[in-house]
Amino acid sequence: MSSELERRLEGLLTEAPDPDPGAGEEALHRALRALQPAAPARRGVRTAVLVFAAVAVLLGIAAGSLAAAGALHVSIGQKAKQPPAGTQLKLPKGAHGIAAIVNGRLSVVIKGGFRLEGQAATAVGLSPHALYVAAGIGSSLVAMAPSGHQAWSHPTGGRVVSIAWRPDGLEIAYIVRRGRRLSLHVIYGNGKRDEMIDRSVRAILPSWRPDSLAVAYVGAGGRAVVYDLSHRSRHVVGGAAPVTHLSFGPSGTLALARAGAGIGWLDGARATARGSEVRLDPSPHLVLLPPLRLGGRIRTFDANGTTFAAAVVRAGIRIVAGAPGHITTVLSLPSSARVDALVVG
Amino acid sequence: MREPSDRDLVRRARRGDRDAAAALFRRYWRDAWRAAFAVTGRRSLADDVAADAFERAFAALGRFDERRPFGPWLHRIVANRALDLLRAERRLSDEELPDMPDPAPVHASGDRGLLTTVAELSLERRVVVVLRYGVGMTPAQIADALDLPVGTVNSRLARSLEQLRESVEVEHVE
Repeated sequence: MSSELERRLEGLLTEAPDPDPGAGEEALHRALRALQPAAPARRGVRTAVLVFAAVAVLLGIAAGSLAAAGALHVSIGQKAKQPPAGTQLKLPKGAHGIAAIVNGRLSVVIKGGFRLEGQAATAVGLSPHALYVAAGIGSSLVAMAPSGHQAWSHPTGGRVVSIAWRPDGLEIAYIVRRGRRLSLHVIYGNGKRDEMIDRSVRAILPSWRPDSLAVAYVGAGGRAVVYDLSHRSRHVVGGAAPVTHLSFGPSGTLALARAGAGIGWLDGARATARGSEVRLDPSPHLVLLPPLRLGGRIRTFDANGTTFAAAVVRAGIRIVAGAPGHITTVLSLPSSARVDALVVG
Repeated sequence: MREPSDRDLVRRARRGDRDAAAALFRRYWRDAWRAAFAVTGRRSLADDVAADAFERAFAALGRFDERRPFGPWLHRIVANRALDLLRAERRLSDEELPDMPDPAPVHASGDRGLLTTVAELSLERRVVVVLRYGVGMTPAQIADALDLPVGTVNSRLARSLEQLRESVEVEHVE
């Protein structure tokens, strides 16, 4: 019986239908675009490498002279671990993925090596474990698998300015700008059943409570509002406006930041802010550090509240993430860069 | 004229020869798609999985060891993409029932298609059966492809056969 069954199983794929011709053509087009020919080294390239090496040696000698004269600070040891300034995202240790919008362009790095860069986008969010990326592209909210393949696209009728994926992955909160009006919506993680939660809000990233049953946002009047999904009710919280950033901590309490008032923590987590530098509290209960404004260029800034925190520091823009003792510089940018969103998952 | 071997096509495609890459694609597209369909049970997912697999395979062609056969390598990518997508879908849509698999063909004899019976296996067993019998990979190759011990592959195959045999026998009794 078994051999007869095995013999039949060997013809298993002949029972499968044939693929549609259209799917094959599209797949061929995609596959050919992915083809990356390994170009053999040419004499010109070798010459360029030699010239580059010579320049590097000369620069090294010059830097050594400057360092000796005290005009250039060279650090060896722990400080040397800081990566050089670069605009490529780096995945923090232990993270599943990281995504950012820098100068209007999307950058995504997912554990396992997937990297997406250069797509024009207005907002980005990561699903739990970075299984999917949601981005505001054109006038749609688009969900992509880590392969870059589009899972679904939802027309929003405007520009998506903020995206926050529910901690259990089942829904996405997003803010869309239509003309001068900003509204908060919640949509299923599979792109179905879009619902408007508030027709007039501020363009500040909403934050989900860790139990996924409530989402906080900033209403049009600048005050923090918590929308309870189970009772479909709204509660204004946190007192005076205007709230510039908000985030639920892991314990479910809300941290608020107000313009001109520094950082206000409502759940007792400690963080210190000095000028443009934020130090991470070595507490196991890290919560999101709200963005600091650096010459007005940082508008939105987010990190997963349970494991990661992020900060902007002096000397251009340096964004760090991670748990205490495992801090990674995930992005170094010139101070002229504009960071619209950053999310670690 | 003699057909170029896979190795020839791979070698040329690695140098950027799009015609060779397209020939390689056409040689394997149908099998890759059918394997993806046998695992996922849905045409739309099979389209995605097979297309993703070719895209990844071509992007990684520069790192591919030419001495190894192209087919099993490609099917390994197909199987892993199918597993990734189905697992991600399962995690993301726990609240919703998955789409119904597309109906499998019914044989002239009136038997349900074997593909339908295979579709009733768990995802982990199904993928092993498709790779072993549909694609013709050895248990060792499957173990390598799915990053599993060979013993696990063999036990999943044995249990799958047992389950399939029971299904087929029930079908005959009915």
